[in-house]
Amino acid sequence: VFEREFILDEADVEDILWELEMSLLESDIAISVSEKIVNDVKQELVGSRKKIGSNTSKIVEDALKKSINDVMSANVFDFDEFIDSHEKPVNIVFVGINGTGKTTSIAKIAHRLKAMNKSVVIAAGDTFRAGAIDQIAVHAERIGVKLIKHQEGGDPAAVVYDAVQYAKAHDSDVVLSDTAGRMHTNVNLMAQLQKICRVSAPDLVLFVDEAVAGNDAVERAEQFNEAVPVDGSILTKTDADSKGGAAISIAYITGKPIVFLGLGQEYEDLKKFDPQWFVDQIFS
Amino acid sequence: MVMDKLSNSLQDALKKLVGAGRIDERTVNDVVKDIQRALLQSDVNVKMVMQLSKSIKERALDEDVPQGMNPREHVIRIVYEELMKIVGEGTDIPLKPQKIMMIGLQGSGKTTTTAKLARYFQRKGLKPAVVCADTFRPGAYQQLKTLCESLSVPFYGEEGNPDAVGIVERGLAEIDKYDVKIIDTAGRHSLENDLIDEMERIHAISSPDYKLLVLDAGIGQQASEQAKAFNDSVGISGVVISKLDGTAKGGGAMSAVAATDSSIAFIGVGETPEDLEKFEADRFISRLLGMGDLRSLMEKA
Ligand SMILES: Nc1nc2c(ncn2[C@@H]2O[C@H](COP(=O)(O)OP(=O)(O)OP(=O)(O)O)[C@@H](O)[C@H]2O)c(=O)[nH]1
Ligand SMILES: Nc1nc2c(ncn2[C@@H]2O[C@H](COP(=O)(O)OP(=O)(O)OP(=O)(O)O)[C@@H](O)[C@H]2O)c(=O)[nH]1
Ligand SMILES: [Mg+2]
Ligand SMILES: [Mg+2]
Repeated sequence: VFEREFILDEADVEDILWELEMSLLESDIAISVSEKIVNDVKQELVGSRKKIGSNTSKIVEDALKKSINDVMSANVFDFDEFIDSHEKPVNIVFVGINGTGKTTSIAKIAHRLKAMNKSVVIAAGDTFRAGAIDQIAVHAERIGVKLIKHQEGGDPAAVVYDAVQYAKAHDSDVVLSDTAGRMHTNVNLMAQLQKICRVSAPDLVLFVDEAVAGNDAVERAEQFNEAVPVDGSILTKTDADSKGGAAISIAYITGKPIVFLGLGQEYEDLKKFDPQWFVDQIFS
Repeated sequence: MVMDKLSNSLQDALKKLVGAGRIDERTVNDVVKDIQRALLQSDVNVKMVMQLSKSIKERALDEDVPQGMNPREHVIRIVYEELMKIVGEGTDIPLKPQKIMMIGLQGSGKTTTTAKLARYFQRKGLKPAVVCADTFRPGAYQQLKTLCESLSVPFYGEEGNPDAVGIVERGLAEIDKYDVKIIDTAGRHSLENDLIDEMERIHAISSPDYKLLVLDAGIGQQASEQAKAFNDSVGISGVVISKLDGTAKGGGAMSAVAATDSSIAFIGVGETPEDLEKFEADRFISRLLGMGDLRSLMEKA
């Protein structure tokens, strides 16, 4: 049967794509990433044959959704399987800029691992910020896991190293290593982070950023990934921003999976990342 | 992956105007598009950027180019003026006895800024003291206490007591004789009703002279919504932008002050109590646009 078709040209999709790009920006997907995604969709659509009578808006929106879904589903990461399939102890180092939720995410993951009957050691690797050791000590005590800590001002690499040694000696399953928040532009602090990773040879480095972040998410994800590099990311504070397009910026720039989402300040407020759910949120 | 660096593209766009003897619509369209992109990249609210670019375009075409200015300078001046209308000169926190309440989202930098402000007033010869009303975050008490001790600033808190309102009431009585009383509160966002309610009760019992919203320089499109919620709840007297020592531009903070009719008082540029600066509109706008030469240009005008 011969279907009557027409060829999409640039004028057909231009306005629709512009509207969609604005909504991507309003979801906090960085402009460089939004532009790239929208342009790719445009390239793909312009010149393609469509059935006469089909809804162009819907064609464009579906293509965009698919494109974002592709970015987000590349390298999906199964955290539980990773823990189970790796040699003990699995050392996970958490990195990111200041205040994004590294320490709280560690507490949530420790809680989760404990519920899975894994033995967990936390390394109080933020020896810099006032109250950082107290903060993680409270979490470790509440959750009931071992904490390895040094004095405030101590060498963070040594803390993480000690925690790994302790875990080896005690046959623990997982080491969760906290680090101080730092700006990606701070050369000395980024060098210190590289040292922590050199000394403790982590199995997994997770970059932690927040859902309320805007365009800067791209810059810092890129810099942390270059310095360390990172294996995956956690997006926190999604309860404050249901869209959380920063996840797309980060996944796009690093090419690494989003592993968990933070949904609040309680230990249960942690969720495995689900690309489809996430894309639905963006377009809701 | 290499993303084109925005400031350059804006500079390039504006260079296009240097050669142009008079202003034509196409050139202005081009330039306004680049300015639009710069503002979006700096996290200025999307709708606000669209309105702004419309008025910039209209003015650039309608108004005559002033004597001694080339078209490029003419457009930059209009952009600058439009942004200035929104940002204003900034909030001036007077050097006198007062009560200040710190509010903001989780992790935005309230506690650090509390210490920075205490240091600021101390340097100006006033006697600050601090109350810790964050009974929620583990280690919050210890964090603020440590910071205050390092500055020899009196500190009041009750570790382990979850009653933030009671702590504030007793704390303010305790530090009554000090000049500047700063209350640090727990982080919260607009959807956390219990915490918003707690903030209102702290506000009611302390009746602060200033309520400072601490906003992360990196916050995106949520900035205006969140700021509105804080403003509706207790009212905002000024904004502090934290973490401007990274690469974030702080366009969210600009959207926040536009949405709440407030203005920016200070900027945070590092983690230590010394890393606080008075807000300067010129520098802020130059950074927002990724350009360095705005002030000299305005002086020429
Ligand atoms: N609403 C909400 N708050 C969160 C979430 N994750 C963390 N927080 C809060 O964000 C604030 C900062 O969290 P931390 O875990 O201390 O962040 P951090 O990255 O370790 O901070 P630094 O060590 O100072 O760099 C705390 O008040 C947390 O309770 C989340 O998913 N939702
Ligand atoms: N680089 C940099 N870091 C900052 C700045 N201001 C605060 N920080 C850091 O940001 C993180 C969060 O700061 P806090 O002062 O604990 O934030 P908060 O708003 O009190 O957090 P909650 O009480 O959990 O809501 C800490 O690591 C601070 O050291 C700044 O201007 N520059
Ligand atoms: Mg931390
Ligand atoms: Mg705090």
